[in-house]
Amino acid sequence: MSTPPLLELHDVTVAYHGRPVLWHVDLAVESPCLYGIIGPNGAGKSTLVKAALGIVPLADGWVKFFGEPLDRVRGRVGYVPQRESVDWDFPVRAIDVVLMGTYHRLGWMRRVGRAERELAAACLDRVGMADFATRQIGRLSGGQQQRVFLARALAQQAEIYFLDEPLAGVDAQSQQQIFRVLSELRDEGKLVLIVHHDLRTAASWFDRVALVDMRLVAAGPTEEVLSRENLARTYSGHLEVLDELGRAVEAGRRTP
Amino acid sequence: MSGLRGVIEFLTASGGMHGWAMATAAVVSAAAAVVGSLLVVRRMSLIGDAISHAVLPGIVVGVLLGGRPGGPLATLGAVAAALLTVWLAELLRGKARLSEDAAAGVVFTTLFAAGVALLSAAASRVDVDPGCVLYGMLELVPFDTVELAWLEVPRAFLGGLLVLAGVLAVLWLSWRQQLATAFDADAAAVVGLPAKAMTTGLLCATAVVTVASFEAVGAVIVVAMLVVPAATAELLVATLPRLILVAVGLAVASACSGYAVAWQAETNAAGMIAVMLGVGYAAAVLIAPDGMLARGTASLRLAWRVVCEDVLAEAWRAEEVGAALPASPRGGLAGMLAAWWLTRRGRLLPGGRLSEQGRGQAEMVVRSHRLWETWLGRHVRLPLDHLHPPAEWIEHYLGAEMRQRLEAEMAHTPAGSVAADPHGSTIPPER
Amino acid sequence: MTMLTAVADLLGLSSNTLLVAVAMAAVGMAAGVVGCFSVLRRRALIGDAAAHATLPGVALAFVITGSRGLPVLLIGAVVSAVASMGLLVLLRRFTRTRDDAATAIVIGVSFGMGVALISGLVARGVPGSGGLERFLLGSTASLSAADARLLVIVSLLSTGLVAAFVKEATVVSFDPGFAAAAGWPVWWIDFALVAMTAVMVVAGLPAAGAVLVTALVVIPPVAARQWTDRVGVMLVLAGAFGLVSAVAGVAASAVVPGLATGPMVVLAAAALFAVSLVCAPSRGLLAMALRPRMPLAPPERGGP
Repeated sequence: MSTPPLLELHDVTVAYHGRPVLWHVDLAVESPCLYGIIGPNGAGKSTLVKAALGIVPLADGWVKFFGEPLDRVRGRVGYVPQRESVDWDFPVRAIDVVLMGTYHRLGWMRRVGRAERELAAACLDRVGMADFATRQIGRLSGGQQQRVFLARALAQQAEIYFLDEPLAGVDAQSQQQIFRVLSELRDEGKLVLIVHHDLRTAASWFDRVALVDMRLVAAGPTEEVLSRENLARTYSGHLEVLDELGRAVEAGRRTP
Repeated sequence: MSGLRGVIEFLTASGGMHGWAMATAAVVSAAAAVVGSLLVVRRMSLIGDAISHAVLPGIVVGVLLGGRPGGPLATLGAVAAALLTVWLAELLRGKARLSEDAAAGVVFTTLFAAGVALLSAAASRVDVDPGCVLYGMLELVPFDTVELAWLEVPRAFLGGLLVLAGVLAVLWLSWRQQLATAFDADAAAVVGLPAKAMTTGLLCATAVVTVASFEAVGAVIVVAMLVVPAATAELLVATLPRLILVAVGLAVASACSGYAVAWQAETNAAGMIAVMLGVGYAAAVLIAPDGMLARGTASLRLAWRVVCEDVLAEAWRAEEVGAALPASPRGGLAGMLAAWWLTRRGRLLPGGRLSEQGRGQAEMVVRSHRLWETWLGRHVRLPLDHLHPPAEWIEHYLGAEMRQRLEAEMAHTPAGSVAADPHGSTIPPER
Repeated sequence: MTMLTAVADLLGLSSNTLLVAVAMAAVGMAAGVVGCFSVLRRRALIGDAAAHATLPGVALAFVITGSRGLPVLLIGAVVSAVASMGLLVLLRRFTRTRDDAATAIVIGVSFGMGVALISGLVARGVPGSGGLERFLLGSTASLSAADARLLVIVSLLSTGLVAAFVKEATVVSFDPGFAAAAGWPVWWIDFALVAMTAVMVVAGLPAAGAVLVTALVVIPPVAARQWTDRVGVMLVLAGAFGLVSAVAGVAASAVVPGLATGPMVVLAAAALFAVSLVCAPSRGLLAMALRPRMPLAPPERGGP
């Protein structure tokens, strides 16, 4: 029996308030790599990640990690959400945020111990943020915040990582540092999936990419997928049909 | 007619006591509804709530200085307290980085507490019942009157009428600015409209309305009169002028019915008015154009259409391959019910075969199904065995125009025109 | 109990008065602790909706059971407070009414309903119904020793629950998306936090009354936030502030006759907040005025 894919999405459709925004995504990732999820604004890239992680419900289809449903393997999956999703005035320091990565393994009610503290400090050091451990999270720059979030994901000690726009609005130094850590993860045999909107950098950074625009346009090795034809299909695609149909489904009526 | 006579008797009994109380409740409710409409559409309901509580110390100070609870001094005090509330809340948001609701929560509870404490401390010198603060004394309003030409008019009614007139006049004069600010305060400020002044004016108006309704309903229940009529109207109509009209209508109706019910049930009128407003809102939630009843029936209708179309399409497919019809239609009980209904409507012939009319309808469902499979196969690149379930779903949502668009679009792709779906079945032409 | 009697004798109070004071202290502390997460989750005024919604519950519990015992009335209050939270969720889900308006609707209508019910009972001369009015502005005068013990138990339980689940509540409040992806039942933890706020609002009713009790769950946490950047410290401080304001308020209303408890508790909490706002070490107004500019985003090491 062959080993199951690391990640498999089967006919995944996602709807917000009854309106489909992502249609019938079929995707399998077999081996560790840096995997870019690319598409225009509003294409449903973040939705795809959130659906895979069970944060938004699936209207149809299923997702498996290592051939198993997510609930059995939560501890092997790490996540860095978009920075906008967080209240920056929350009373937590950088080190507290990183410690949150260890909570899942600790389980209900168990307190953070010395082992967790050491792990968190090491993760913070790995992204070059050790000196800022006791700084309140809102008093860090955007790039530093993103590095803290990456450290939190590292503290999850996962095998598959999802990062939602980790490089958006981030200074050059932080970009370098984040990208270096992500490459290291790949070299350690982990699968790293990154939502990304910048086509220029995508070609040089990712081993494989998926082009998404309300549906999966193409997926595979970067140089094959980023062809002129595929890009045209992604960025000037058949949106209106899916858009109009989505509205009709939401309203429960036929299109004209 | 005896009903009408009963109403008139009720209104004019004991020197028109009920009539005046009801009229007072109606005018202050109407004024609150007008101001509240702007608060609700500008998403400032909670500021309205905060201000209506926070004006209490202002009113008490006004009364301590020799004014009446609904008089000019109290009004001045209330406006000052309202401005203090807004200033404090802004300060807390800016300097202490509190969220909007936490800032409002801190400020209005503190000011309201200060008002109540002040009232208790000066209990010997002020004639304001603490109960009045919480739920007004609408029943007593008719007994405090002023001589106006030949008529004895309750003071609170007169005050309410003046405030209503003032609110309407200001709204009339600043209508365009209000509309622009309500729609988008930032954009209004950018094009040079006095958005800030509009906002401050609205907050002052909230304070004035609270003072005007203070004797009738108190400083707590007034929040229901500010917010509920507008929130109800918002469910029923779309434009701001209509929203205000409907809100005022609802406010007056709830004021009158609430007072009457309260009198019958021997309870507090202000509380009952709030209950009536709540009943109106609940009714609107049910019967509004996109309310729960409408949505419920729409989704039932959709489910029914899907079942009927599935039965028809199944019959069509059986006809296409010349197979016998299944003994009972798909979809269990609903399917059987649909088959019976379709037979009655002449879509199916007795025995389950399609009538000419039913065949036309079924053909369009199958056409939608196969067109969508084809479109998906080309544009979403789903594997062949993944195509059927999505099409089974989408076939019920494609209209004639969309079907032709899909067909035309695919005719231009390299694969050429479509006559067959990816499974090799013929796609029926549009009828 | 004997120790309590001894302390009461020492202070020259009746042991009942002392017990009530202890109960109020426990309620103030627990409300402050539980309120931290509703403030951090930006739901400060949801507690206010729950508070106003307790009134119809109190009145209906009285009508149904005919009892004016505190436990029965508080159970009624909890039921209607939680029901109002459910109503808010339904309004958000099924209507176009925005959150702020929905909250205001629940506040105004449920308070009106409570007032109408209570006035109706009083007007009919139903025996014992007059005592319901103390739920409007708070009064500890009629609390029995058993009531006080109940309030202490509820408060200690709530505080204990928060202490046990700080970790879970923190991760869900700070970053719900991450918490959901890590497998925490975000909806349930949120629900538990809201329900505990409703319970503490109800436990605070005798101290502060329906109109003002929301201050107990808002002001101490907000004051505590000024002093620290750590959730744990904030919880402890909020508990302490809540405790102090409750005791101060109860004492003030005991000393000055005719003064309702609620306003005094709130004013004490507000005074603590004012001190925190001005004097806190890094966020305080004084500190900010003395420091010319706070570096929000310090330059990175070796950065451009």
